[in-house]
Amino acid sequence: MTLPGRTAYREELTSIAADNPRVLCLEADLGGRSHPFATAYPDRFFNVGIAEGAMVDMAAGLAAGGYQPFVSTFAPFAALRAAESLKLALGYLGAGITVVAPYAGVSGGWFGTTHHCLEDFAVVRAIPGVTIAAPYGEQEMRAVIRRAARTGTPHYVRTGRNAAPVSLPWQGTDPPVVNWDDAGARPDRTCLVSVGEVGTELCLAVRRADPGLAHAHLCFVDQPHLELAAAELAGRYDRFVVVEEHRPAGSVGSALALLLSGRVVRSVNAGEGWPSRGGSHEQVLDQLGLNEAAVWEALAPWEERPLGAGAEMGTGNGTGKGKST
Amino acid sequence: MTATVTEAGPHGVGGAVAERPAPHQTLPDVLRERALTARRMVIDMAASPTGCHLGGSLSAMDILIAALDRTASSDDGSQVVLSKGHAAAGLYAALYVTGILPEDPVPHYGAPTHHFTGHPGPAVPGVRFPTGSLGHGVPYALGWALSRRLSGSGGLGIAVAGDGELQEGLVWETCQVAAAQQVGNLVLFVDRNGGQNDGLVADISPQPRLAERFEAFGFEVREADGHDVAALRELLEPDRSAATRPLAIIADTVKGKGLRPVEGKAASHYVTIDAARATSWKRIVR
Repeated sequence: MTLPGRTAYREELTSIAADNPRVLCLEADLGGRSHPFATAYPDRFFNVGIAEGAMVDMAAGLAAGGYQPFVSTFAPFAALRAAESLKLALGYLGAGITVVAPYAGVSGGWFGTTHHCLEDFAVVRAIPGVTIAAPYGEQEMRAVIRRAARTGTPHYVRTGRNAAPVSLPWQGTDPPVVNWDDAGARPDRTCLVSVGEVGTELCLAVRRADPGLAHAHLCFVDQPHLELAAAELAGRYDRFVVVEEHRPAGSVGSALALLLSGRVVRSVNAGEGWPSRGGSHEQVLDQLGLNEAAVWEALAPWEERPLGAGAEMGTGNGTGKGKST
Repeated sequence: MTATVTEAGPHGVGGAVAERPAPHQTLPDVLRERALTARRMVIDMAASPTGCHLGGSLSAMDILIAALDRTASSDDGSQVVLSKGHAAAGLYAALYVTGILPEDPVPHYGAPTHHFTGHPGPAVPGVRFPTGSLGHGVPYALGWALSRRLSGSGGLGIAVAGDGELQEGLVWETCQVAAAQQVGNLVLFVDRNGGQNDGLVADISPQPRLAERFEAFGFEVREADGHDVAALRELLEPDRSAATRPLAIIADTVKGKGLRPVEGKAASHYVTIDAARATSWKRIVR
């Protein structure tokens, strides 16, 4: 049994707070009625209400006063509504604030476009000094939160709603710059690069269908981490397909395309459409055309799709179109 | 109440060095002397190549002098945040005459060699938060006040906002949080000078019954003469460590205060003058 990212965050932070009295937990009315931190440390838990911008700015004041604030609200409200506060507090001030942002991508499914966030990498990656993580599974989330608490530096942590995948294994304390999943892969073939829960899920599915393809999983996607990742990727492969639940503009794929000069980089992303219908997370992804079929389409110039691979993943004929660019 | 007496810089009338306040002076005398010296410095910054936000710097000056003296004369960790960051020239001058900023900002205001930018940032000694995008200073001060409460100190988080700035929703979002969290050591000054960039607050977006608004949010409210520096300082003296309601001080001020040619005039919002006019204005400023 593994926990969804946002649940793992709450539990890990509560655990850290036992030994670190400077850790504070702030929520903006979306932390749930039985937050474990609130139960364990009510004096250090603040539900500020529906006030995302004020929450991040307040966190800057708390950080300046010697505390380590962890703030959380849904990704669209954290990255877009409070964008200026992120710029000033996490970027310009370099305040040791961690922002944990569930409901990223279209994991809100039928909640609709106001509750989707396909733009957060573009916004937050443009703010220097912020470590950006998109952990895959409980163990990665816990490790990222421990890293944020240990370093006391600005972090933005993107996660989904209720998905609870099993993290890929790694050695060491922090998730590596590149977590290689390429045992049995051939160096002359294409390397899948996965970002976030959906990107990683799709890459794992493709690799299950064709184990000869390599897979490189990225947990950290801020510019310094991507520069390190690009050097490592270029050392092993020449062609890459980057898969992520984000718009093409400001995507990890677009950043890697610039960093991997001379290599071939294609991006599978959520395109530029606005999903107008309801449905589950997977169904809304289908409306955007972000599914296994789109990954195979991106691989098509070089890789043969095994018979039946990705057939169950939908048609990708919705309002948007997951793009290989 | 004890006075922190500091050397004033070369900003007396006509460039003469201001007198160091005599030991027998009362704190109100000292604060008024600081405010006058700082106003002359602001006039000098208006005479820099960039000019400055003159009217708002002068209207906020007595508030800043009182608030900064509160922080400088206590070791309780109180902090002042100039939320109306466009009054940076006023802040730099006030920090200097209070003895918090060691370097005279006048020769370096707006210069590429120094951090004295048109809106203040944390590279300037005495400035903890970047302000200028209006509204943010109030939640910074709230967070600071909460940190003082959590650490058991009686320190204040003091925000100085403009009345035009109250048009930003972030201010009221923050007031809601401050009252709900019962952060009684937050003090929000409103520099009610009645002006904003494009004209008068009353014409653009009026604020009727402002005191009642703050009271309705759960604040304690005081209305004060924003140029009675001694009275403003007194309002900051009581221990607020056990207070459960944040304090709003609505300070009635005059844009361009102290400089009769510009007092109350919307055109004083941003001013660039030449050296001769600066000399003339420094003679008459009060």
